Amino acid sequence: MSCMGRTVFIGLDGVPHGLLKRLADDGTMPHCRRLFEIGNLHCIASTIPDISSVAWSSIITGKNPAEHGIFGFVDIPINTYRISFPNYLSLKSKPFWEKSEGRSVILNVPSTFPVREMNGVHISGFVSLDLERSVYPPGLLSQVKALDYKVDVDAEKAHVSMDMFLSDLDKTLTARGKVCDHLWQHEKWDTFMIVFTGTDRLMHFLWDAYEDEEHWYYKAFRGHFSKVDAIVGSIIDRLNDNDILVMCSDHGMEHLDKNVYVNAILKEHGFLHYDPALKGGFANIDGRTKAFSLDPARIYLNKRGKFPRGCVAPNDEEKIIEDICELFQRYAVGGKAVCKAIYRKKEIFHGPFIDLAPDIVLIGNEGINLHSGLTAENTSEETIFSGKHTQHDAFLYVRGRDKCPSVKEGFNVSNIIGYIDSLKAERWR
Amino acid sequence: MTKTLDHLSRLENQSIFIIREAYSQFRNIAMLWSIGKDSTTLMWLVRKAFFGKVPFAVLHIDTGYKFKEIYDFRDTYAQQWGINLMVVKNDEAIAQGVCPKTGKFECCNQLKTEALKQTMDKYKFKALYLGIRRDEHGIRAKERVFSTRDEDFEWDYKNQSPELWDQYKTKATHEEHIRVHPLLGWTELDIWQYILRENIPIVSLYFAKQGRRYRSIGCETCCSPVASQADTVEKIVEELQTSTISERSGRAQDKESAYIMQKLRSLGYM
Repeated sequence: MSCMGRTVFIGLDGVPHGLLKRLADDGTMPHCRRLFEIGNLHCIASTIPDISSVAWSSIITGKNPAEHGIFGFVDIPINTYRISFPNYLSLKSKPFWEKSEGRSVILNVPSTFPVREMNGVHISGFVSLDLERSVYPPGLLSQVKALDYKVDVDAEKAHVSMDMFLSDLDKTLTARGKVCDHLWQHEKWDTFMIVFTGTDRLMHFLWDAYEDEEHWYYKAFRGHFSKVDAIVGSIIDRLNDNDILVMCSDHGMEHLDKNVYVNAILKEHGFLHYDPALKGGFANIDGRTKAFSLDPARIYLNKRGKFPRGCVAPNDEEKIIEDICELFQRYAVGGKAVCKAIYRKKEIFHGPFIDLAPDIVLIGNEGINLHSGLTAENTSEETIFSGKHTQHDAFLYVRGRDKCPSVKEGFNVSNIIGYIDSLKAERWR
Repeated sequence: MTKTLDHLSRLENQSIFIIREAYSQFRNIAMLWSIGKDSTTLMWLVRKAFFGKVPFAVLHIDTGYKFKEIYDFRDTYAQQWGINLMVVKNDEAIAQGVCPKTGKFECCNQLKTEALKQTMDKYKFKALYLGIRRDEHGIRAKERVFSTRDEDFEWDYKNQSPELWDQYKTKATHEEHIRVHPLLGWTELDIWQYILRENIPIVSLYFAKQGRRYRSIGCETCCSPVASQADTVEKIVEELQTSTISERSGRAQDKESAYIMQKLRSLGYM
């Protein structure tokens, strides 16, 4: 086993390829710079939709969303109009650590709550409801608590005071670093995985501080990345030549100009009917509704037999999909098209759960953040968030003993596990 | 009105068929009775299927935290209907102090799931009738009428037989047990319309007192009432025909949803 080496997997949530390269080059992340001088940093695609729950589920299973069954942070189960929140129990493929024989330490992978028995240690990531169900084995809980571990920064603080948010972000990262260190030293493992999620939170609220040197929080923004880099540095210093190091993000990020509300547009054009004055959200969708959308921009036809007040007959599906695609192709806000790409179900999804997949997924144009809440009064709005997800520019870095082949055209986050496995297989030969 | 009756009779016929089919396949079968409206309706159908008798054991999982009304109802009707009632408890966990305060999930897991597992093992039941409905919770959307569980109680939703044209796979291999769901196709409204039609006795918690009633019942510590004026079965039927609020909105497990929603909103999702 030892000649096989160990695998160390570092995730940087939401970090785009371009930003990482720039912060490595400008000295903010010296340890990453050191890494990137050997080995290749690749720009890879996220999942569609480009959202953490979907992307991390694809990363840890190596599967398409229609194979692992996670299509977003929220879902509407068939036969209902009730919002549900898929979690680790809803993941329909096994993560890599349940397929390998070795022992794993898995720290802060999003959408892996509640934890279950596995060979090693598993501390789940966002959204985790409480620490009790986030730590396996349970015997580790008191130790994790003693290190002041918190699953996620309290993002509500950012809506009150950015300083409070940043201080909480820092505390969360420090504690995560301590738990990482503790597990590294005290656990036996063949695979070690840690995901840093504060990066995504920071970029959501303060992307403008990344771009603007005059920004009040310019230093704080880089400070957080430096601190992440220091923990990365402490990890790579402990690697040996036989180990494989993998770093990746789940999606990218860019500047956010405007929120655009997909359901408001569907309503404006007669595809969606509901009374916004009624409480109960999607439960108010009425029987004339042809389509509705779930975050970020997953459009579902209100099919007869699939939803309680479904009215779309099989023969009409194609035409409605056609009409909706056409609507969003030409839909513009302030002279700018809102969509960069529009995908139909069959173009992007394959697997046994394809019936649960959205019929259309929209990818927002540069700066346009597509949303599917039902409460928006306008079709577009300014927002306090300054960063939004991107689909095309996640990153992947792999360093092994042997030369790592470059990634193929169209490589996306669900291909990472397969890529690592083929590296290991190559080593055996 | 005729249409409603036809619909209910069709559901009734199908459920009775499933109940008899399961019984003919498994003599070591038991039924889970939570004393709620669904499993009490199931009990009613079982009694119809076997001409007033209940020819197998009926399990009530008792966490010790059920409402007093539930215990009273159970004891009254267990006796009146001549039920072979087995009260299922995880005494070990209770002795160790597992309770709602030590964590609601763990409490449910130990006092309900574990308790049932122990009893299934002890009496070697091969099949179990449950009154679940497909529309009550998202996780049940993929359920089957005959649904296999492995020895760890895990539901491998990919390893389930198709049930096309009402053809059911009713055989189990030795290491699994089968869950039988005769009410799977019923909705909450169907249940109440049937209760109305058949005049089935129901725990009083479902009827409004001082503007509140329970729409879903379980442990007293984890249920809260919904606002309602419906104090008769007729009024409940009427209320359901107009309501947009989810059935389990008073359940603590669903409060977690509100928490998740808040977290997602603070990050700009939703």
